[in-house]
Amino acid sequence: MDSYMILTNNPLAARKLEGRRTVCYISVPYEELLREAEKKICQGHRLLSHPLSGSVKPKETPYKSIMLSGKKEEVDPQSVRMIEAAIQTCEKFTDRQKSYGQEVYEDFQLIDWTLLESAMESADVW
Amino acid sequence: MRLEMGHIYIKDIQFADESKIQDGVLYVAKEELEKTALEDEKIKGVSFDIARPGESVRITPVKDVIEPRVKVEGRGGVFPGVISKVDTVGSGKTYALKGMAVVTAGRIVGFQEGIIDMTGPGAQYTPFSQTLNLVMVCEPVDDIKQHDYEKAVRFAGFRVAAYIGELARSLTPDETKVYETCTIKEGLEKYPELPRVAYVQMLQSQGLLHDTYVYGVDAKKIVPTILSPTEIMDGAIVSGNCVSACDKNPTYVHQNNPVVHDLFEEHGKTLNFVCQIITNENVYLADKQRSSDWTAKLCKMLDLDGVIVSQEGFGNPDTDLIMNCKKIEAEGVKTVIITDEYAGRDGKSQSLADADAAADAVVTGGNANEVIILPKLDKVIGTLDYVTKIAGASEETLREDGSLEVELQVITGATNETGFNKLSAR
Repeated sequence: MDSYMILTNNPLAARKLEGRRTVCYISVPYEELLREAEKKICQGHRLLSHPLSGSVKPKETPYKSIMLSGKKEEVDPQSVRMIEAAIQTCEKFTDRQKSYGQEVYEDFQLIDWTLLESAMESADVW
Repeated sequence: MRLEMGHIYIKDIQFADESKIQDGVLYVAKEELEKTALEDEKIKGVSFDIARPGESVRITPVKDVIEPRVKVEGRGGVFPGVISKVDTVGSGKTYALKGMAVVTAGRIVGFQEGIIDMTGPGAQYTPFSQTLNLVMVCEPVDDIKQHDYEKAVRFAGFRVAAYIGELARSLTPDETKVYETCTIKEGLEKYPELPRVAYVQMLQSQGLLHDTYVYGVDAKKIVPTILSPTEIMDGAIVSGNCVSACDKNPTYVHQNNPVVHDLFEEHGKTLNFVCQIITNENVYLADKQRSSDWTAKLCKMLDLDGVIVSQEGFGNPDTDLIMNCKKIEAEGVKTVIITDEYAGRDGKSQSLADADAAADAVVTGGNANEVIILPKLDKVIGTLDYVTKIAGASEETLREDGSLEVELQVITGATNETGFNKLSAR
C-alpha cells in the first residue's frame, strides 16, 4: 500500500497528525480545498477517501480532510470524476461558513476529524 | 425463520404512579423512567415529556426514534448486542407497541439535527407526527466528550424503550402478523416459478453521529452479510446517526422497514423474498470497493433475479449506491434503487453526486433542498437554540414572527430512503 497524505483545512486534524503523518494544511474555504485536491489529482495523486464524506453538507461545515495517495502515478480517471462531481455538488450549497460561534466551529472540526479517523483506521490496516 | 409479531395498539400515554398498559393506555411512572435512563453515570439528568399528534408541539433536536418491543418467545431479546445478549434474533414471538415511540432529543454538538412537528405543515412531512411520542432529553455530566455523550443518549433511549416494551410482556396482542422466510433450498422448491428477490440495505457508517450498529457491531467494521429480514424486527440494526435528519434511518425505521414489509407482502405471491443483505457506506474508497464487490458477489451466489437497494444519506453514499447498482447489474441481477435528491431549492440541479446508465430504475424519497415554512408552535421540547445551525437552515431561518424557513432536510424522516416517509408524486 502506498503511503498517504492528508489534505485538510481542519486545524484540529492538522494538530492531531502533526509529526505523525504527511499533512498538507491550507487555511482555505471548503470549495477551495476541493479545488486543491483536484490539482493534486491532476498531478497524479489518487483519491483514497471520498471528498464528500459526512452528512454535514459542503459549505455548511467549513472543514474537509481528504486522503490522497502519497505517490504520484498516472492520472486516475476515477479520482478525477469523483472530485469533479464533488465540486459540482458543492456549488449547489449556500455558503454559511461564517455564521457560527467558536464552539460550533470546534464541533465541525471534531466531526470532520472522526470521518478522517475512520478512513485512516481502514488505510492503516494495509 | 419464523417470527410472530404481536401488535398492541397504544391510544394514549400518561404519566402515573405505576407503569402499566391498560385498555390501550400506556401509563408510565416518571421515577422509573428516570432510574432507567440514569443507570449510565455519564447522564446526570433527564426530563420526560409527551407529545401527541395534533398538539402544537415541536420536538428538536431529535437524535433517535424507537418503537418499544419485547421478545416473549424464542431466542434472544430486543436490541441484541446492545441491550440483550448477542443471540441471533428474528424467530419466535415479539410484541410491538404500535402508535407510539420513544424519542431522544438534546444537544450533542453545536449544530443539531431533526425536527418533529406534531401539527401544521411540518407534521405532514414526518411520519413521527402521527405517533404518540414519549420524549426524553438527557443532560450529560460536565466536560463529557461528544462521543461519550452520543453513546450515553443512544443507550438510554434503548433502555427506556426496552423498559416500556417489557410492560407488554403478559398482554394479548390486538393483532398478530406472521413473517416467515425459507432456506435457500426450500425457497427454490416451494416457489420455482417466482423471481428470487433480495433487499440490499446500505447502512450509514462514517463517524460520530454518522454510525449504525448491527448486533452491537459498528457497521463500518462489517463486510456485507446476510440477515433473515425478521432479525431487524427484534432490533438487530440500531441507529447512531442523525446528521441531516431527512434521510437517516432512526431505529424505528429499521424495526419497521417498509421495504422488508412490502417484500414480505409479496413473498410467495409475485416473488420469493430470499433474504436481506446489509452493507456499509464508509469514508475510505477501498472499503467502498470491497463492500460493493462483496454485495454483488453475494447477489450472484444467491442466484438472485432482482434486488431493491436502499441508500442512507446523500453525497458520499451516492457513490456506494451507484457502485452497488453497477456491480450487481453486471452480475445479471436487476436492481431498483431508492435514494433521495439534493436538487437545489429550485429542483433544477443534478440530484445525485454520482450516476450510471445501469441505474435505470430509481425511486426517490423527494428533494431535501425544498424550502418549507414552519409556523411558530406553542411548545418546544428540547431547544430551538441550534435551529439556525442545522442542515438546511441559516441565520435567516428563525424569522421575526417566530416561524422557521428551512429546507426539508431538517425534518426527521422527510425524504427517507426506505420509503418510510410521506412524500409522493402524482
